[in-house]
Amino acid sequence: MNRRVMHNTLVLFTTVAGMLIQSNAISSEREPFNDRYCTTCHGTEGKGNEGIQAPRLAGMEPWYLRRQLENFRAGIRGTHPMDRDGMAMQPMAKLSDESITDIVEWVGGWPYAPAEVTIIGDAAEGRLLYGVCATCHGDQAQGNVAMGAPALAGQNDWYLVTQLHNFVAGYRGKHADDIYGQQMAAMAGGLSNATAVLNVVAYINTLEER
Amino acid sequence: MAGLVSRREFLNLLAATGGIAAALKVGTALNLLPGSAAAASMDLLNLGNNQRKVAILGGGISGLTAAYELSKQGYDCTILEASHRCGGRIFTVRHGDLIDEIGNRQYCEWDDEPHMYFNAGAARIPSTHRNLLAYCKELDVDLEVFINENKTALVQDDKILGGKPIRNIDYTTSMRGFMAELMAKGMSSAEIDEPFSESEAETLLSMIRSFGDLNEDDIFKGSFRSGYAAGGFLEHGVQNDIVAFRDLLQTRLGRQLMGANEGDTGPILMQPVGGMDKIIHGFLNQVGDKVKYRAMVTSVQVTDKGVNVSFDQDGLGHTLEADYCFNCIPTHLMVGIDHNFPDDYVKAMKYVRRGEAYKAAFQAKHRFWEDLDIYGGISWSNTRSRQLWYPVNGIHKAKGVVLGAYDYGGGMYHTMMTQQERIESHLADHEKLHPNFRSLVEKPITVAWHRMNHMLGCSARWSRNRFEGWTHEEEQLYHTLQAPVNNRHYFIGDQISMHSAWQESAILSAQWALNNMDAHVRAELVLGTQ
Repeated sequence: MNRRVMHNTLVLFTTVAGMLIQSNAISSEREPFNDRYCTTCHGTEGKGNEGIQAPRLAGMEPWYLRRQLENFRAGIRGTHPMDRDGMAMQPMAKLSDESITDIVEWVGGWPYAPAEVTIIGDAAEGRLLYGVCATCHGDQAQGNVAMGAPALAGQNDWYLVTQLHNFVAGYRGKHADDIYGQQMAAMAGGLSNATAVLNVVAYINTLEER
Repeated sequence: MAGLVSRREFLNLLAATGGIAAALKVGTALNLLPGSAAAASMDLLNLGNNQRKVAILGGGISGLTAAYELSKQGYDCTILEASHRCGGRIFTVRHGDLIDEIGNRQYCEWDDEPHMYFNAGAARIPSTHRNLLAYCKELDVDLEVFINENKTALVQDDKILGGKPIRNIDYTTSMRGFMAELMAKGMSSAEIDEPFSESEAETLLSMIRSFGDLNEDDIFKGSFRSGYAAGGFLEHGVQNDIVAFRDLLQTRLGRQLMGANEGDTGPILMQPVGGMDKIIHGFLNQVGDKVKYRAMVTSVQVTDKGVNVSFDQDGLGHTLEADYCFNCIPTHLMVGIDHNFPDDYVKAMKYVRRGEAYKAAFQAKHRFWEDLDIYGGISWSNTRSRQLWYPVNGIHKAKGVVLGAYDYGGGMYHTMMTQQERIESHLADHEKLHPNFRSLVEKPITVAWHRMNHMLGCSARWSRNRFEGWTHEEEQLYHTLQAPVNNRHYFIGDQISMHSAWQESAILSAQWALNNMDAHVRAELVLGTQ
């Protein structure tokens, strides 16, 4: 069955009554499942899906994919009640180490595909603001593994807008164990308003030919 | 207390509206009775020696309707179903089933018996949904009557009677009594009497008295309608106490209690014997060999001559070239699948919002509701779990499955919780209805449609404004998505209807698309035009 990972997991339910309700050992007749469900939300080869607000994974660096999956799994990301889309992702990352490795290998292998432009902003204004971002993310928004900063070029612009707002508002990057998120939250503080966010993302949009 | 309105003032308010006289004159004659279910059968052209290939994306009831009708006329159909099962939101959970919620997979561990099931999606068939009923008849799906409103079931709100549950019938009998009392008094006020003739007024007044079971003075003094406090069979019955009007007004559950029998959920409702998915099995008995399971569509390309579909199955990429395509993939998922749809189509796809409905169910260790004279129906509580459904199937058997939550509009409250938090929420809520509920049930199952794999949402929401209804722009977007692309690709499903969340809507959507395609095929084959 090629590279597919099938898991037979013992499902346990607990109730607060303290009673442990345990399933029977799962028989071979049981409907199998696998953890490669990313494309349901993130779209064909992870090109992103605005309908679900699930961002593009195609071209995302494997090291960044792994870090975010582990952060979601540990509740370091996606637990702030105002981070609606992050909260939707958080339980979906309840994966075994094996599954995370499999997914990173699978998803990391998808061809880079820049997302369509959907927002309007002043790219010239955004270019001035982007100077600070370039320090970590690179002048072409190509990302920098040494700084732990992912590529931004080609990412869904609506996703970048949401995440910048989340960093500014403290919905992301406030968890004590989110070291890179905290750095980013501090840097995003300079984006004073919604227009500035749109402008900087509009500039990032120009860094990728589509 | 400031702002109290006396009965007299209330009646004056009623009279001042002047609406009654207007209502006497407006309205139209009722239409003749609609045609019978048999009239629903389709009249599609049989292909004869001609060949046409059809790709059907999604094995929900709309896709299966298309496959069934087209196969009858000689079309070569292939159904691509992304999950391990057909039916979509027609999902009956029973022993051994996988509930494929992303991040919260469950296997159902209930006893393996025919009556031990839970309809996690569609659960009621109104008698007026005649196209669905016609397929049930044609496909030999046995039906039984479904009980939606049960007057013996319970009502609970912390705000009334110290949170003590009361019978539905205690609430509705008293509420109708008080409402009738107000109406009868209104009838005797000259302003309201005026537009009626003497005989009309008499007829109306007698109906009002009967509606509320008023006494000869037009006062509500209680009624045997709510059963007997004692006796009633071998001895004279003793009347139950009235629930005070002011107590009744402390809860808003009256909206459900007084309206449970209206509209789509009015009697008679039905369900298939053994679970709603018996309808799906009925279709699969006819077209099951055309289904490819775990086949995820990755691309839909419409050309002048047809539709090219790519899909992944067993880790391998496949292609399917078809003359026509019927697509019931949820629009919010289709947005993320490669396609070459026109811009206005994409705009409409992106406009539709995902529904959030949530349900949960438990296996009951014994049928404790029957000990309380409850056989089927719904108990309502002012809790987040909202509803407790008792099964009408399996009466007097040892165990049963109760629906422990149904939140249609605000399902995200429970969806956002962990499985343990969801279960505890339902146990705590229903302890208010049945004090030992926690010890009476086991093996919980939760179904959060917003998180179900290959669905990621319940029924489509087109209208953004609940109170004002569809805007003109929304209607245009809807018609854009209903129309075919190049006369080759059709979106179908209850998502392409103005009445989503019903199987009838999904079927009618498929039939609309089939008729539209049929006209083009006839033009080609019969008239020889392209």
